[in-house]
Amino acid sequence: MLSIKNLKASIEDGTQILKGINLEVKPGEVHAIMGPNGSGKSTLSKVIAGHPAYHVDGGSVELDGKNLLEMEINERANSGLFISTQYPTEIPGVNNVEFLKMALNSKRAFLGQPEMSDEDFKKLCEEKMNLLEMDERYRERGVNDGMSGGEKKRNEILQMAILDPKVSFLDETDSGLDIDALRIVANGINHIMSPEKAVILVTHYQRLLDYIKPTYVHVLRHGKIILSGGPELALKLEDQGYDWIEEA
Amino acid sequence: MSTATSEFIQNLPTAEQAIARLREIGMPKRNNELWSFFPVAKIPTPEFMGTDFAASSAANPAAAPAANETAAQSPAENAPAIKESDFAALLPIANNARPMIREIADGADEMAMLKCNNDFGHTVLDIGKGAKVSLEILDNKVTHDIAAERFDINVGENADVEIFFANPACDLPLRFRHFNINQAAGANVRFSSICKDTAIGRISIECHLKGEGANFDYRSLHILDGEASQHSRLTIYHEAPRTVSTQLARNLLSGSARVSYDGSVIVGYDCTGVNSSQLVNTILMSEDASVSVKPVLKIYHDDVECTHGNTVGELDAEQMFYLVSRGIPKKAAQEMLMRSFAQETFLPLPDSPAKKRLMSSL
Ligand SMILES: Nc1ncnc2c1ncn2[C@@H]1O[C@H](COP(=O)(O)OP(=O)(O)O)[C@@H](O)[C@H]1O
Ligand SMILES: [Mg+2]
Repeated sequence: MLSIKNLKASIEDGTQILKGINLEVKPGEVHAIMGPNGSGKSTLSKVIAGHPAYHVDGGSVELDGKNLLEMEINERANSGLFISTQYPTEIPGVNNVEFLKMALNSKRAFLGQPEMSDEDFKKLCEEKMNLLEMDERYRERGVNDGMSGGEKKRNEILQMAILDPKVSFLDETDSGLDIDALRIVANGINHIMSPEKAVILVTHYQRLLDYIKPTYVHVLRHGKIILSGGPELALKLEDQGYDWIEEA
Repeated sequence: MSTATSEFIQNLPTAEQAIARLREIGMPKRNNELWSFFPVAKIPTPEFMGTDFAASSAANPAAAPAANETAAQSPAENAPAIKESDFAALLPIANNARPMIREIADGADEMAMLKCNNDFGHTVLDIGKGAKVSLEILDNKVTHDIAAERFDINVGENADVEIFFANPACDLPLRFRHFNINQAAGANVRFSSICKDTAIGRISIECHLKGEGANFDYRSLHILDGEASQHSRLTIYHEAPRTVSTQLARNLLSGSARVSYDGSVIVGYDCTGVNSSQLVNTILMSEDASVSVKPVLKIYHDDVECTHGNTVGELDAEQMFYLVSRGIPKKAAQEMLMRSFAQETFLPLPDSPAKKRLMSSL
């Protein structure tokens, strides 16, 4: 459903960060992307989302056969893509719940569906907040405003739960989470996941993959995927690091 | 009423005094610091200034009026001199605006709405000790070529007053609003306004914090587009110890809208423990919009805390990206960020009719 072919992208000064990424993600799959700091994992997520800091030099990203790179940023999201960045942006003054409602109704409008009623939205929101064991204070706050790293990650997964995307790209969602929060967030992701959907997880730690079983594990280094394997690869990486891998 | 208040009313200039003074100071000019940012050429010369007044020298006022008839009848010679020097403050009085004088008794609790004339108006409020007043200023639907309104507001000890307006966009070609505020000890005044006017305007405020602990809180929001040109001129006199003033001006400017903010804070001798802050935040939504800010601090005492800041920027690109990457269309995302920027102006206000009205109009 998500097909990335020979994706190359650079930053403003012309430095190429992504040097030909290939990735095929099918429904029901969980892909883990690992790799040393600075290899381009976060860049990959932002390029797919359409962040203006990056220029696509070549390649394609298709979601269900449609080229995401030709779409506006909001259209990508409304077509079923969800990107949770490593450092979620704080937007004080924009209420968390109002924002969620706006995002959901934007998607519904895009899909030609009617606006969700306040009542239905309230129910949906309550259900997902319970799933993620979030307390009422999240409602009152601005988007990610003054939240700890862990609270932000949980707030991101709340958005994912409500927007119900086909493909989610979660960048280091496990960092900043304590042991309980990790379990809650991972269970939340598993709950949202279904055979029609797919998840891409960027992580440094096996502990997340203990909860969310990856179908494939990839190693991204210097802007390329240099090795792919099954769940056992993550264990080996945790044990031995990245230096044993020969770059093509 | 106490002697202080009757004195306040008696000291208001008469039409004769205002005319004489206006002739003395002349038409506003860009090199006058009160008008340095204002498009002064757009101000029509009032008849009583004399037809050839504009050409004459302001330094030699006696020379000008003698030439025409209006001037010949002028009782300027017998009118005692006054010091007031803001053209916009004197204009309504010179145009014979009859003062609407309202006295609010000690301890009263009043909510009032004031409809403006939208030509020349003069309102005098004398607010008693400990009174609680909420005053909303409304526009009159009838508009003229020029409007100049003046408000003289005397606030008694420990009174709590909010003055606010959030009028719908007004296309008056030229509008002046001048406020002259005196605050006795412990008096609180909160002045809050939203301006969406489409033409030229100026709000001027002179606030005298005369009694210990008096507190003046000013919040303004300009949301402007097109050719709008709106100017604010504040002078806050801290004339007693432990007086506090806060100024927050926020601007959201599109098109070729233009805003200026000229805020002076003057702290007198013997005024210990004064606290004053001034902050101007502007978001420019277009290339042609512009803002000018001129903070002036005159401090004649050491134990004073004064801060001022001025930021100019665009909508935060990362915040925009975040909203849009969740599926929200660009325009709606911009509106969300603009709205939150606007609302934050008034968020710190206590719950009150002013806050309710201002927030709901955004
Ligand atoms: N917007 C940017 N401006 C400048 N350098 C960037 C930018 N985005 C990424 N980089 C650089 O690209 C490389 C990859 O970064 P990133 O994708 O964040 O790595 P990872 O997420 O794998 O740790 C790093 O060297 C980083 O400094
Ligand atoms: Mg990263």
